[in-house]
Amino acid sequence: MIENIKEIKKDELLAEVKKFADAKARFVTAVCNDLGDKLEVTYFFNMSPGMEMHGLRMTVGKDEEVPSTTGIFLTTVLIENEMKEMFGLKVKDIAIDFGGHMLLAQDSPVTPMLKTGAAGGKGGE
Amino acid sequence: MAPRTVAPFGPQHPVLPEPIQLKITYEDEKVVDVVPAIGYGHRGIEKACELNEYPKNIYLCERICGICSCIHGISYCEVVERLWPIDVPPRAKYLRTIWSEMSRTHSHLLWLGLLADAFGFESMFMQFWRIREKVLDLLEMTTGQRVTQSISVVGGVRRDIDDEQKKKCIEVLREVRKESEALINVLANDYTVKARTVGKGVLTKEQAIALGCAGPHLRASGVKEDCRMQGLQAYGDLGFEPIVEKDGDCYARTLVRCRELLQAIDLQLEAFSKMPEGEIAVRPKGNPPANEAVYRAEQPRGEVFYYAKGNGTRNLERLRVRTPTYANIPSLLVMLPGCELPDVPVIVLSIDPCISCTER
Amino acid sequence: MGIINTSRIKSPWIMHFDNSSCNGCDIEVLACLTPLYDVERFGIVNMGNPKHADVLVVTGPVNRRTARVLKNLYAQIPDPKMVIAVGTCACSGGVFHNCYNILGGVDKVIPVDVYVPGCAAKPEAIIDGVVLALQKLSKALGVAK
Ligand code: SF4
Repeated sequence: MIENIKEIKKDELLAEVKKFADAKARFVTAVCNDLGDKLEVTYFFNMSPGMEMHGLRMTVGKDEEVPSTTGIFLTTVLIENEMKEMFGLKVKDIAIDFGGHMLLAQDSPVTPMLKTGAAGGKGGE
Repeated sequence: MAPRTVAPFGPQHPVLPEPIQLKITYEDEKVVDVVPAIGYGHRGIEKACELNEYPKNIYLCERICGICSCIHGISYCEVVERLWPIDVPPRAKYLRTIWSEMSRTHSHLLWLGLLADAFGFESMFMQFWRIREKVLDLLEMTTGQRVTQSISVVGGVRRDIDDEQKKKCIEVLREVRKESEALINVLANDYTVKARTVGKGVLTKEQAIALGCAGPHLRASGVKEDCRMQGLQAYGDLGFEPIVEKDGDCYARTLVRCRELLQAIDLQLEAFSKMPEGEIAVRPKGNPPANEAVYRAEQPRGEVFYYAKGNGTRNLERLRVRTPTYANIPSLLVMLPGCELPDVPVIVLSIDPCISCTER
Repeated sequence: MGIINTSRIKSPWIMHFDNSSCNGCDIEVLACLTPLYDVERFGIVNMGNPKHADVLVVTGPVNRRTARVLKNLYAQIPDPKMVIAVGTCACSGGVFHNCYNILGGVDKVIPVDVYVPGCAAKPEAIIDGVVLALQKLSKALGVAK
């Protein structure tokens, strides 16, 4: 169980993130999960000063477009690019768009973090 | 307008032991734009962690980064323990704290050495690394390995520290403290060091929060935030107070790390004196249940964020790691434009970049 | 040629390149240069420029992006050159050998002369590796060591 997570709809995302920005919260990170036919994205914020954490969670279809939060928190640039290349989450208008090759090279597998992603064997054996 | 030049900084560059590339555009000597190009260290550990069984992931997580590997291993164990949840015996908590602080000591010594090297203070570099070897010897003595200790297991720790080792640790740590104090005195008051760091790469408090910085970088800008404030492990008993500086420049970041280095040694000495007797591990029952958990710990470079999701089998459904450098890289986009070209290495180094962490 | 070959063996210049290692082996390579191990007393100097180097020390497994950089650096080092793979993951891929972005050990991309296993390889082992590489080099050049 994670405390303080609020379920939101995709359209509310920017407004909700804006509230955190106005409250002078610090963006921690986002986590994307593959739920089979949908993707679940959770944004985590730290209420500065202090160590209290809040989350925003939304569930989107795999081919739905999601607005970018880089207009509010520039620092989300890395994580949005990462979710885009690892999970194929369709994020619109990222401030610096690496075009799906921030971490992955030209000949790497595409969207490797999806459960169906052909990702080689299991490392570490 | 002066002609603009674009120069690549990295991926193989003498000041950076690690591969990262910054495409720097500059006019005369002034930097006008920076684009980081990362991906030279991406391996795919998060996926490998889903495909492997949960006890084996400790070894993978430790190899996210070789400098803070001990805290990576501990954080992974803590987040998985939260899925059940399992309560770790008090002695194990103290041991984890001691090893965490020991790796912070060696990491800060390493960084101070690299910083001295970045502006050509070669003898200082050698001195810091000489002291660091003593800390590594302690780690080797107590855990069996210099770099990747693999000391933590789900439910506790793998080894105990006996009285003889404890005595030796205390003795060496006192020595290390004395020697580092002397060196820090030189580093913090040296005219050339100040000339290269004071007022360089300034980040205000508001900017630091808006950019989501972490660790010493954030605290150097006057924000009092440190994951050890949560009072987990033994930090609650040790009376921990975060170290904060106000100026937000490279010099402030250096000072924060210098003071944290001494504080880390004090915390270890205090933890040794308060450590309770007892068990060092409990055995987890069954597989991690279907549940989610997050855990945040303070690494030498800042806050590390672990997210785990179990599904009742021996494999985890998802593991996500957000490392401190991941949060600090965007601040380079703000700090570098406007600075002079020779200051670039110092500013880049001042966030203590750890690229293999960032890209996993 | 005599004096050049002799100095090549008596004072090899090394260049260190980090693929996508975990840093563990990198800092051990750096530790070799610092007072406790101090390889400089054997005339071994660390270089930043591939064109000045004789020995290439590689740490970490090759991933899909560093493969190109590594080939490029290898091509820039003048002959005769030696390549030392430091660490288990530079030798074979180690813990990462099956990860999706990893091609494997360094020998998948460039020829390797000496393998130094260990995760992380200890500084003593790294120094041994360099000595072994020099013996190989002197044999190849026909110079008595
Ligand atoms: S061999 Fe081990 S310590 Fe060395 S770079 Fe690879 S994973 Fe890290």
